[in-house]
Amino acid sequence: MIWENIKIAITSMVHNKLRTLLSLLGIIIGVGSVVAILNLGQSVSESINESMQIGGIDMVNIFPTGSARELNVFDEQFGDTLMRNVEGIESVLPAASSSTRIRSGQEILSVTIGGVTSNFFDVNSAELLYGEYFSANDNINRRQVVVLGKDVADELFPVGNAVGSYVSIFRQSSRRYLVVGVLDEKDATLGTSFNNSVFIPLNTYDQRFRRVSTLSSYTCKVADGYNPTAVADEVEAYLNEIVGSDYFTVFSAASLVDMANQVTSTFSSFLAAIAAISLLVGGIGIMNIMLVSVAERTREIGIRKALGASPRVIMMQFLIEALTLTIIGGVIGILFGSLLSYAVVNVVGWQLYFSWSAIVISLGFSAFVGIFFGWYPAAKASKLDPIEALSYE
Amino acid sequence: MDNVIELVNVRRYYLVGDFCVKALDGVSVNIRRGSFTAIMGPSGSGKSTMMNLIGCLDTPTSGFIRIDGEYTNNLSEKELASLRNRKVGFVFQQFNLLGKQNALENVMTPLLYAGVKGHERRERAEALLERVGLKDRMKHLPSELSGGQKQRVAIARALVNNPSILLADEPTGALDSRTGEQIMELFQDLNDEGRTVVFVTHDRGLGMRCREQVYIHDGKIVEGYER
Ligand SMILES: Nc1ncnc2c1ncn2[C@@H]1O[C@H](COP(=O)(O)OP(=O)(O)OP(=O)(O)O)[C@@H](O)[C@H]1O
Ligand SMILES: [Mg+2]
Repeated sequence: MIWENIKIAITSMVHNKLRTLLSLLGIIIGVGSVVAILNLGQSVSESINESMQIGGIDMVNIFPTGSARELNVFDEQFGDTLMRNVEGIESVLPAASSSTRIRSGQEILSVTIGGVTSNFFDVNSAELLYGEYFSANDNINRRQVVVLGKDVADELFPVGNAVGSYVSIFRQSSRRYLVVGVLDEKDATLGTSFNNSVFIPLNTYDQRFRRVSTLSSYTCKVADGYNPTAVADEVEAYLNEIVGSDYFTVFSAASLVDMANQVTSTFSSFLAAIAAISLLVGGIGIMNIMLVSVAERTREIGIRKALGASPRVIMMQFLIEALTLTIIGGVIGILFGSLLSYAVVNVVGWQLYFSWSAIVISLGFSAFVGIFFGWYPAAKASKLDPIEALSYE
Repeated sequence: MDNVIELVNVRRYYLVGDFCVKALDGVSVNIRRGSFTAIMGPSGSGKSTMMNLIGCLDTPTSGFIRIDGEYTNNLSEKELASLRNRKVGFVFQQFNLLGKQNALENVMTPLLYAGVKGHERRERAEALLERVGLKDRMKHLPSELSGGQKQRVAIARALVNNPSILLADEPTGALDSRTGEQIMELFQDLNDEGRTVVFVTHDRGLGMRCREQVYIHDGKIVEGYER
């Protein structure tokens, strides 16, 4: 019976192609925009996530600010203190950085110089191109050794291998540093840029640069299985307790991503809700065509009743017709919306992520619109008096 | 005394404004199983009204109607629909075929409402179309059929659920006399096979060929035909 009704519905749709299309336009546009908006929202979130995946998503950075040094909190032991008090931190890397100039032969470059511990490279997964990292011993003994970023090495040593050469690093007077390694190319993470930096042991840095250093920081690596955003929040809470919010800034890529995702999802839900209103307007179009259809087919309804169709059967026939109509409209809308989002994504250059939930939701919504707006016309049809319907011209 | 149709003091009044039209005014009729009855009377006398009441398309203002042993008073719309589906086959003057369905689909429709399975629907509909001589017109739409052929489809459709009564309201009214004659012969054959046929006609000649006649005038049963 359902199948027969769908066949009847499709026959009458094919019979009135233009009229059907026009009355479906509201549904098509509504579903199309909901799908397009949700697909695009999804693609935006995914592309944000992806760009953050390159590095730093599992890091929480702490930047002491103002006169924090006077508090005697941010010292060598701070990392251990922090790990004892906040769960989910695998390691804490103290680091300091400032800018300086570096010379080899006639070449002089302005670079960022970082004072870091020996495990800094490993934690940040900075790979070596040549040579090796400096060691913990180098740090303890304040040796004057340096690891160069890729671009710095290329500029200073256009030919040959930099490892084993000496460079001069300026700070008031210049000092000679032995190049022990060159880093491979690496995209900047939040907090550190690698290609344009040089890295020396933290203790060496302390001795030579501390007095003039503008910024030092701690990079916490979040242990596997812990949510970086949550860890960042805990770190912040802990620091608030011991030093107060004026003396530090906590920064994590993950919370940025969370925030961006939240904004995109709020925004796209909001747009989708607006688009859903056009679905409701589309529903009125459906009600209209169904009322026309019932009026036009009054005689058919009379005949069907004379042949033994109960009011319920007639009601079902027209409800199924309305449902068929809106679901076909929904499917066309989904195709249309997907094409639209595909086109936009191609132009902007993101990757398309299909929001399956958008498809399920909009199909469900179309069906709901069909039943809701088809109900009244169908009820009207089912209540027709058979004799009056049969004598309808 | 096997009466398949019993009407007891049936009235059907229509209120038109302040005016009461007494389309049927106290009609009592019994029609035997297997009979071939003509209902005759002048235009507006209430013939169609009576047919619609017998066929459960309409309900009386007062009085009792019993169809094949079932009283129709106090039946719900749904029960009336089921009664129409099982007990009554309608043939109309204006054919009343479903315009977008072909002959076969038209004939299968009552079986659809009776809940008969797909393949059986098809078999029974095909057999009946063959019976009325339309074996080679099954896939034709009504618009592709002549008046006589349409009426044959309508008759096949009326018979397909094996009803107790076949009601025909001026089935030859829209046909020329030769085609009308063929349709009349078909009804006679069906009656010979044992069907109860109730046949409304204006045509005195056709009416007299039925085995029984009921005359109706101004909503009342009368003795003999009056002009
Ligand atoms: N829906 C209605 N409202 C008001 N009056 C009606 C209605 N239907 C029928 N009538 C009246 O009832 C009377 C009987 O009508 P009916 O259709 O039964 O006549 P009939 O014998 O079939 O006539 P005909 O031979 O012309 O078909 C007529 O006077 C008609 O005007
Ligand atoms: Mg009549």
